[in-house]
Amino acid sequence: MYLTETQEQVRDMTRAFADEVIRPAAEALDRDERFPSEIYDQMAELGLFGIGVPEELGGPGFDTLTYAVVMEELARGYASVADQCGLLELISTLLVRHGTEAQRKMLPEVLAMKRKVAYCITEPEAGTDVSGIRTTAVRDGDGWVLNGGKIWIHNAPVADTGFVLARTDKEAGNRGMSIFIVDLHAAGVERGPKEHKMGQRASQVGALNFTDVRLGADALLGEQNRGFHMMMSVLDKGRVGIASLAVGIGQAGLEAALEYAGTRKQFGKAIAEFQGVQWLLADMAKDIEAARLLVHSAATKIDRGQDATKACSMAKCFAGDMAVARTADAVQVFGGSGYIRGFEVERLYRDAKITQIYEGTNQIQRMIIARELLKKGARG
Amino acid sequence: MKVLVPVKRVIDYNVKPRVRPDGTGVDLANVKMSMNPFDEIAVEEAIRLKEKGVASEIVVVSIGVKQAQETLRTAMAMGADRAVLVVASEDAGTDIEPLAVAKILAAVAKEEQPGLILTGKQAIDNDMNATGQMLAALLGWPQATFASEITVEGGKAKVTREVDGGLQTIEVTLPAIVTADLRLNEPRYASLPNIMKAKKKPLVEKTAADYGVDVSPRLTVVKTAEPAGRKAGVRVGSVDELVAKLKEAGAI
Repeated sequence: MYLTETQEQVRDMTRAFADEVIRPAAEALDRDERFPSEIYDQMAELGLFGIGVPEELGGPGFDTLTYAVVMEELARGYASVADQCGLLELISTLLVRHGTEAQRKMLPEVLAMKRKVAYCITEPEAGTDVSGIRTTAVRDGDGWVLNGGKIWIHNAPVADTGFVLARTDKEAGNRGMSIFIVDLHAAGVERGPKEHKMGQRASQVGALNFTDVRLGADALLGEQNRGFHMMMSVLDKGRVGIASLAVGIGQAGLEAALEYAGTRKQFGKAIAEFQGVQWLLADMAKDIEAARLLVHSAATKIDRGQDATKACSMAKCFAGDMAVARTADAVQVFGGSGYIRGFEVERLYRDAKITQIYEGTNQIQRMIIARELLKKGARG
Repeated sequence: MKVLVPVKRVIDYNVKPRVRPDGTGVDLANVKMSMNPFDEIAVEEAIRLKEKGVASEIVVVSIGVKQAQETLRTAMAMGADRAVLVVASEDAGTDIEPLAVAKILAAVAKEEQPGLILTGKQAIDNDMNATGQMLAALLGWPQATFASEITVEGGKAKVTREVDGGLQTIEVTLPAIVTADLRLNEPRYASLPNIMKAKKKPLVEKTAADYGVDVSPRLTVVKTAEPAGRKAGVRVGSVDELVAKLKEAGAI
């Protein structure tokens, strides 16, 4: 394999942790929609949050490929847990790249999950098209006043600090948005109820409303009016993360289906001996491997500083579609059992669906791939 | 106090071993290898002794093929300070026998002068359960095998041993050799920052010849075979039938 000895070591450790701690807890977490603080505390201790944070800032300083490997292994345990890792990777990357020295001081607390964070972009009128956001931050003395509302925000019901995209210039389109670091316990912040989702149900998702929330001058992250670009700058890594998460879900489905096919007997033999089942297993394995290679290739492009936009969109789109199709196959291998709550593949199928939607829908990914093709040619 | 922890690279405990077609041993080609789980427990115990302020330095040592350096890196990622790799074979399929291993370890111990040698009670590949005992004999040090609890105080180690009849507690004068049993502790996972730090920790590479030890085998493997598969069971219709069948089989 092309992974380094260190990357394999990280993978093996994460896999063992996922097998022993995450995977056995997944069914109950899904059923109860519970935020697994005890798992996150252990992950924080193992340095599984903020994987790319440089050593001098208290992180392990790993590259994007290592991050992809970790995300796959965590998601193989349970996608909601991996998604928390993905969220912290984005927030910590933003803080490392754009935070002032004072703002970066929150990093250890954030990575230890002592201060829970939320990344607040989406609004009722601004989903895929972020330029439609209506949340505003208006100058007030040397600070700001924040008004508006966000929906479907991961961690919103539990978070302490929000990284909120708000409009700071009404006329300037994508060049008129900024990111603010907002204390979610402050006056004027109101939390909506927790959403009850189809899958990844241990992820707490909800709305946040801001009414005349006073922000200090130090609340602005990076440059004023550059919020959209800052957000875009971490998008490639975000897509690699979600693509890896989808691969992990697919891998868990394959493992479960393979084991079941070897033990379930019909017509006097294991169903794995029937060609119809073998083809399902073979299609699962080849598409998972293809998705994994796309993800690793996209991650490597990021690590080498190459243009990775198309590669990341291809990886995210392919891996998301793969996860939905191949966990459906896993359910098929299980037959009726696979349709019953409590069987892992039933949850995996539900957990997979969102990977075609969040971090840019797969329709948007195809638009990006086509745009890049038309701009740079078939080999660009 | 310095603690020396010998660790062995063995076939991963999750892998289903396959016998080589010629019956000379277990097929190790393209098979995942890991640290012997009992040795992992020994490494963990050494780290706990260091955290308690009892141990000051942990040196891990492995004898075998060059790839055993991965095992040593894992031990250092867990918390060992430095490593010695003794290359004694180029072929992962050649097992270095306990006596040769013990002789090399005795030489390493003379060099390192540890206050305690902590290792696994046996390796899960060949289950010899001999290296620790042989090493104690060669060094003339006391030994405490199958440890489930270790307390070090005032130049002595109090060790609870898991013996057939229950638990036995003995006291040994240091330096001594203690071999770890399953219930001594639960090894930690190596954290990502520590995996990164382990890359920079010193690893010295030596050969068996450096210590003047002849590692050529003294044992001959006559045959290796997989255990016979379980025979299919029968379903009984009643308790009477069960009793009859058990009598038939001579079980009751």
